Amino acid sequence: MHELSIVEALIDQVRETLEQEGEKGRVSKLELSIGRLSGVCCDSVRFAFGLLAPGTVAEGAEIVIQQPKAACNCRACNVPTEIDDLVIECPNCGSGDISIEGGRELLLQSIDIEE
Amino acid sequence: MKIVAAKKILKANDQLAAENRARLDAAGVFCLNVVGSPGSGKTTLLEALFAQLKDRLKPAVIEGDIAGSIDSERMERIGVPVVQINTEGACHLDANMIASALKEIELKGIDLLAIENVGNLVCTAGYDLGERLRIVVLSTSEGDDKARKYPAIFQGSHAMLITKTDLLPHTDFDLERIAADFKRLAPEGAVFQVSAVRGDGIAEAADWLADKCRGN
Repeated sequence: MHELSIVEALIDQVRETLEQEGEKGRVSKLELSIGRLSGVCCDSVRFAFGLLAPGTVAEGAEIVIQQPKAACNCRACNVPTEIDDLVIECPNCGSGDISIEGGRELLLQSIDIEE
Repeated sequence: MKIVAAKKILKANDQLAAENRARLDAAGVFCLNVVGSPGSGKTTLLEALFAQLKDRLKPAVIEGDIAGSIDSERMERIGVPVVQINTEGACHLDANMIASALKEIELKGIDLLAIENVGNLVCTAGYDLGERLRIVVLSTSEGDDKARKYPAIFQGSHAMLITKTDLLPHTDFDLERIAADFKRLAPEGAVFQVSAVRGDGIAEAADWLADKCRGN
C-alpha cells in the first residue's frame, strides 16, 4: 500500500503524544494494531520504520504489531466466520447476504518509555 | 512506563478530510472522488459527464497524477477550471494535498468539484479526501474479476461506472458477474454502463450525479 506515509503519520503521532504527556524518556516500544482488512502490510511497516525512525523520537523503538481478525456475519446460515481477507460471500454457505465487522483498525495502541 | 494512546494512525488525514468537507459544504460545492486503474477512462468519463451537464452544473477538477499535466491540459481544453497535483511518486492523494489545492480554486463559481485520484485500485481506498461521494471506474478490458481481487476500493464506493462498453464484443467481461459482486460489497451502490466514445449511458450517469449534487 503506502506504508511510508503511514509510518510518517505514526511517528508524528508518537511525537505529539509525548509532547502532550510531557514525556522526555527514550521510546522503547510501540504497540500497533493493524487489522487484517486494513490493506497495510506489516513487513512494509517495519521496513519503513527502519528507514524513517532514525533521528526522530521513535528511533530504536521495538515495533509490536497485533493483527485483529475480521468477522463475516451471514444472515442466511447465521454462522459467524473469522476471516483474514475481505470476502464477498459467506465462507460457510456461499450466500452473499453478509456483513463484515472489524479488521480495519490502524491504531497506535501504546508507547513504552524507559524511565 | 506505558502511555496508552489508542489513536488512529491516520487521524491527521481524517481531521483534514473533515475540514475539507466542511469547507466545501459551506461553499455549496459537491465533491466527488473518482478512483480507478490507470487507463480505466476516468478523464474521458469526466469529459463526457461535464459535456452532458454543461447547462446544469459548473464543475472544477483536481487532477492527481504521479507526473505531468496531460489530464489537466485536457480539462483546460474543455474550459473546466483545473488544479494539477503531482504526487512525485506517491500512489494516492491525501487530504492535505486537497487542502492545498482548494486554496487555488474559486469555490464560489462552481457546484461540483471532481477529484480525479491517482490511477490505483489499492492505496486510494485508504484515504478520505473530504468528498461526499466516491465512484469507482472500471473498464471492460480490465476484466470482471476486479471486485473480488480489490474488494476494499469497491466496498467504499457509492457507484461503479463500467466504461468502454463498446469493447464488450471483444472481451469475455461478464456485466452480471461484476454487478452482483459490487452489490455484495456495496449494497446501496449504483451501477452504470457507459461508453464515453459512443455516448452510451452518459445521460443516465450524469442525471444521477446531478441529483446527488442537489442533495437527492
